[in-house]
Amino acid sequence: MEPGSGLQRRGPGFGGGGLGSAGVSPALSGPQARRRKQPPRPADFKLQVIIIGSRGVGKTSLMERFTDDTFCEACKSTVGVDFKIKTVELRGKKIRLQIWDTAGQERFNSITSAYYRSAKGIILVYDITKKETFDDLPKWMKMIDKYASEDAELLLVGNKLDCEVDREISRQQGEKFAQQITGMRFCEASAKDNFNVDEIFLKLVDDILKKMPLDVIRNELSNSILSLQPEPEIPPELPPPRPHVRCC
Amino acid sequence: MAAPSSAMEAAALGPEELVCARGRNRKAVLCQRCGSRVLLPGAATFTRRELFLPAMKKKTALVANSDLEGDVLQDHWLVEDMFSFENVGFTKDVGNVKFLICADCEIGPIGWHCLDDKKSFYVALDRVSHE
Repeated sequence: MEPGSGLQRRGPGFGGGGLGSAGVSPALSGPQARRRKQPPRPADFKLQVIIIGSRGVGKTSLMERFTDDTFCEACKSTVGVDFKIKTVELRGKKIRLQIWDTAGQERFNSITSAYYRSAKGIILVYDITKKETFDDLPKWMKMIDKYASEDAELLLVGNKLDCEVDREISRQQGEKFAQQITGMRFCEASAKDNFNVDEIFLKLVDDILKKMPLDVIRNELSNSILSLQPEPEIPPELPPPRPHVRCC
Repeated sequence: MAAPSSAMEAAALGPEELVCARGRNRKAVLCQRCGSRVLLPGAATFTRRELFLPAMKKKTALVANSDLEGDVLQDHWLVEDMFSFENVGFTKDVGNVKFLICADCEIGPIGWHCLDDKKSFYVALDRVSHE
């Protein structure tokens, strides 16, 4: 563990806009808080999380509640989702996650370093029913080692727990892989059944918070650890948006 | 650039039950379909601006139709900082625009953001519910 060592290195980004530190100290709670006058309590943290893994392992579905028929064609299949802002509350802290799903850029070298550099949490996904996606993990780790910040929290996720009958990779294999990597956590999930999906994000955030010494937390309250504008330093070699094939 | 009317003017024009005296949203802004929380009360300012949003449609209803159907919408919640959102998704760029979608069920577009104006994120009142 290297508590907070990378925080200073983290790019200053843009100052995080209007999210001041006001309202952080007196912990508002309960219905009283809800009725309280605006502005609403700002987030205590902003963290960027990226989801990586080989094609078809279900990265995108880890971010979705439904995988049905009802998405807007114009804005989803043809244009694609770029990123999401999601809010979780944990240990009295309100955390805004900016989640980047790298689906559609699965070729190892095509996911640009910018994604990795700014990530505070990295979710590496494989499909428990497809051995090759598990075999790809070392290649993904190479990318992480090369580009990601050292203090980025790592979580290995064996997805598609709902397809137990087709399982090719045992839980132990996944655990064993994660154990070889310092600080990497492991869990199995099923985006289809929503099993463990919320927990994945909570777990990751919890780990990130745990690693921060208190004073850092205090200092960072008003300053985003990471604040990306909708167009981060997306390098030119990023492939153009294309309709991607979705699994399951 | 957006030229939002002043908060007071907006409040006068807007649906009273939704806009407080200071021109902000009185109620939480939710996804119409799945109820995902987009904005907390008070997080946005009512504003009027004509913006075109493609129609919210089911996948099966579209496909071959290349003509982009949609609506020109007037009433919006304006947010200056994208980290003011509780939950929201952004599409990839369409020209210099990103559309806003529900972060959970991904229905949309519910809003509009122009890359030329980094401090303006619009959520159309007609495309969300209020609670």
